[in-house]
Amino acid sequence: MIENSFNRRDFLKVLGWGGATVALSGCGNTSVEDGKEFVTSYVQTADYIIPSIGTYFNSTCAQCDAGCGIMGRVREGRVLKLEGNPKSSINNGKMCGLGQAGVQAHYNPDRIREPLLRNGDKGEAITWEKALGLINEKVGGVKAENVAFLTGGVSGHVKALLKNYLDALGSGHHYVYEAVAPSIMRAANKKAYGIEMPRLRLDKAKVIVSFGADFLGAWISPVHFSQQYARFRKADNGERGVLVQVESKMTLTGANADRWLAIRPGTEGILALGLINSLAAAGLSVPGDVAAAVKDYTADRVSKDTGVSNEHIGKLAALLKERSPSLIIAGSAAEGYAHGSQNATAIALLNQVLGNVGKTVEAPSGVPFPQMAPTPGNRFALQALNDNMAQDKVKVLFSYGANPVFTAPASMKLKENLKKVPFKVVFAHYMDETAVEADLVLPLDSALEDWATAMPEYIAEGAQLSIQQPLMEKLYPGTLGMGDILLALLKQRRPDEYKGYEDFYSYLRSAMVSNKGALGGANEDDDTFWDTALSRGVVKLVGTPVNISSNASAKGLVVPAPFVEDSAYPLHLIPAVSASLRDGRNANEPWLQESPDPLTTIVWDSWVEMHPKTAAKLGIVEGDIVEVASKSGAIKAQVYVFTGIHPDVISVPLGYGHEAMGRYAKGIGVNAFKILDPVFDKETGELAMHETRVKVTKAGQRVIIVKDEGPAGGNQMGRKIAVRMSSSKVNLSEEV
Amino acid sequence: MYCFLRLSVLLVGLIASAGSYAVNAVQPLTTADDLGPKVEQPIEFPHDRHAGDAAKGGMQINCMYCHTYARRSIVAGIPPLQKCIGCHQSIESVRETPRIKKLFEYWEAKKAVPWKKVHDLPDFVRFNHERHIQRFVFAQNKPVQEACGYCHGDVKTMTVARRQKPLSMGWCVSCHQKDHPVDATSTKTTHGPNDCWQCHK
Repeated sequence: MIENSFNRRDFLKVLGWGGATVALSGCGNTSVEDGKEFVTSYVQTADYIIPSIGTYFNSTCAQCDAGCGIMGRVREGRVLKLEGNPKSSINNGKMCGLGQAGVQAHYNPDRIREPLLRNGDKGEAITWEKALGLINEKVGGVKAENVAFLTGGVSGHVKALLKNYLDALGSGHHYVYEAVAPSIMRAANKKAYGIEMPRLRLDKAKVIVSFGADFLGAWISPVHFSQQYARFRKADNGERGVLVQVESKMTLTGANADRWLAIRPGTEGILALGLINSLAAAGLSVPGDVAAAVKDYTADRVSKDTGVSNEHIGKLAALLKERSPSLIIAGSAAEGYAHGSQNATAIALLNQVLGNVGKTVEAPSGVPFPQMAPTPGNRFALQALNDNMAQDKVKVLFSYGANPVFTAPASMKLKENLKKVPFKVVFAHYMDETAVEADLVLPLDSALEDWATAMPEYIAEGAQLSIQQPLMEKLYPGTLGMGDILLALLKQRRPDEYKGYEDFYSYLRSAMVSNKGALGGANEDDDTFWDTALSRGVVKLVGTPVNISSNASAKGLVVPAPFVEDSAYPLHLIPAVSASLRDGRNANEPWLQESPDPLTTIVWDSWVEMHPKTAAKLGIVEGDIVEVASKSGAIKAQVYVFTGIHPDVISVPLGYGHEAMGRYAKGIGVNAFKILDPVFDKETGELAMHETRVKVTKAGQRVIIVKDEGPAGGNQMGRKIAVRMSSSKVNLSEEV
Repeated sequence: MYCFLRLSVLLVGLIASAGSYAVNAVQPLTTADDLGPKVEQPIEFPHDRHAGDAAKGGMQINCMYCHTYARRSIVAGIPPLQKCIGCHQSIESVRETPRIKKLFEYWEAKKAVPWKKVHDLPDFVRFNHERHIQRFVFAQNKPVQEACGYCHGDVKTMTVARRQKPLSMGWCVSCHQKDHPVDATSTKTTHGPNDCWQCHK
């Protein structure tokens, strides 16, 4: 039997010997291959295009909503590498790993290449003409109020076209949905400052207290904040800013903090009010009604409620009093509860009491073109759509830039409700979980081959319109840009208005050029203005002034007492937003799966982060497969024992556990969105992401976790780089 | 069983190596054997007509007029089609000849001419045109056709180019070991680099 006597090792040996002898014969032999390969020249090209030398073109990153400017290195007509665009004030030429993976979204082998129409369980390739005709027929056949458009956050000219299309249909049902948006903080900011998204000046602050805002990792505009953070740490006057991170699960920002305080989940607001009380006691002038409202939050009580020691509360208050201006940030960890709005309001109040408003919390510039201003997404939108679908109020549904079937908790029964919609159109790059449910799937151009403009929600300075332009020709002739599709749909409804535009490019150019005065090109001719805009990749706008209010008031401020423990579900689940995967839309880019999580160094899988004490209590060691069960469902994943987490908390990263989407995403890890309990913020109605209680049981198996970290906290080869020390030996008087 | 297999594979390898080594061993650096195969091109481009001597009906066009990338990039590149058309749209006398008609067909269809590579080094060799042209043509003032000809032969006498030199590693090294003056006026000499990574990187 050849299988028995000729195993793999012997085969390799033989191959090696054979190969070596053949290789020997190769010496001196030229393997020049004349006339076998083609050498293709350009038909027409610019003088600056030289084969083998890269040319850089500016565009805008579409990997997340921060809207950083990018430069793509293009060689021989193909984009090879992305860099940051120095002209964009958001990222000033810098870039993150998520952005770098943008080329993998473009060259991804799992991209959809032609429109697909449902035929039973299969998608049948059809032409664009037929697909657009079908949409026209379907939206024409139902009442306007039964047409719904679900999108992620939108801005720029695509948003303007989308609004025009919905107006043309007579439907106002535009649901803007983002699964991990800071929407509760926006509402609290609106109440406190009159502005949803103020500018945070980390660089001007001398102390930053961040309540779970992972601004160096995955929060709002991390590349911008990282640069501000660098200036905060090394200010011009040489004074090093102090960062205190208060959260229940350590984030990348928490790992960079001078002091990381593990707080009992959900008690962030109590700590904020306790700090106000301590500050008032230390002599900071606090408005009378605020002082009256917080007088019960004594250090002892706050310490008992939050689990943060008396000593730390005192130090924190002293630090805030001594160093001004400071900056207090409410992140996703503070706002993820049923009382998330109150938490965020209490934190905003702390900012006001400290006099930070106007110093480190600034008013942004108003956008001069409101029709292009960003519409940020929230989670409430999906609940509203889901309710309407359940009541059969939606007959035609469009979905763009969202993957609700993946990101909706199982308790919403979104997948079942989606089946009640007779005609579902999904604009997609991949056959993701939502596209699989669609009746018509329309394949989109990648962000590196499409035209668009973007106005990010968080603009660092002034106002700016970012231009996304194709960095290379389309890879597949059967895909189309979102702008082109909307224009074609508008031509069906308003032919007179839009027939002059051959494609979205001509619309965009004409729309920009006709407004060149307002876009800073009043003295330039059309071509110069347009070429300059494309060459820079951004158009600076003159923003309108916005007022920010700083009236500290305790009106309506009620922060509830900490949780009552639930004996059946004793642990809190924190669904972690990782810097790479976020809400999972980029999970099919293998670089992101391959780049290790910054804290655990785990790759290519989900994990359950657990404190060593909790693990010991449950008899769990690293690599144990456990079942994490909430009232709404259960998932199984490997345990990673980690001290950077509160003992009452476990954490599972989001973005993993796709059931479709592509070869690099499907079947990797588990989807933590699915087991979130349906608990909502009381003021905004947003899904409270951190409210889920779980119980953990061993499932019996044990695996070796695939991670970069060596045994026992990394092999330091005796170099004592990061020496482990028990916390009782740390001299707190020398620390923050 | 596997011993037999191992032996047989080893033997085949040895015979193959001995055979090919024998063929190569007798090969001197430049002989008629180094001529590459004739390569069929979509358009039989007459290098002699463009670059040849005026006495023989050539136009004496500088190599770098069309192969403009050679002095600026590691690859010499094939000129963009627009370069051909740039001249030929004004040359009425040959406008109706079969090759030029074919050229305009490609142009009107906006399609690249599918030229075949004549000098195709293996992918693990990185040959830099720019370095050679800058040294020989610009630093040492050698005539362009001589400098290009070191590797490409006397292209101005050919129609479709055909490989003239072995382009093997030994052949490259034989030249890199020779001393050259540093520039046109200097008496100082140097030779080409002989580090592995100059070409294999």
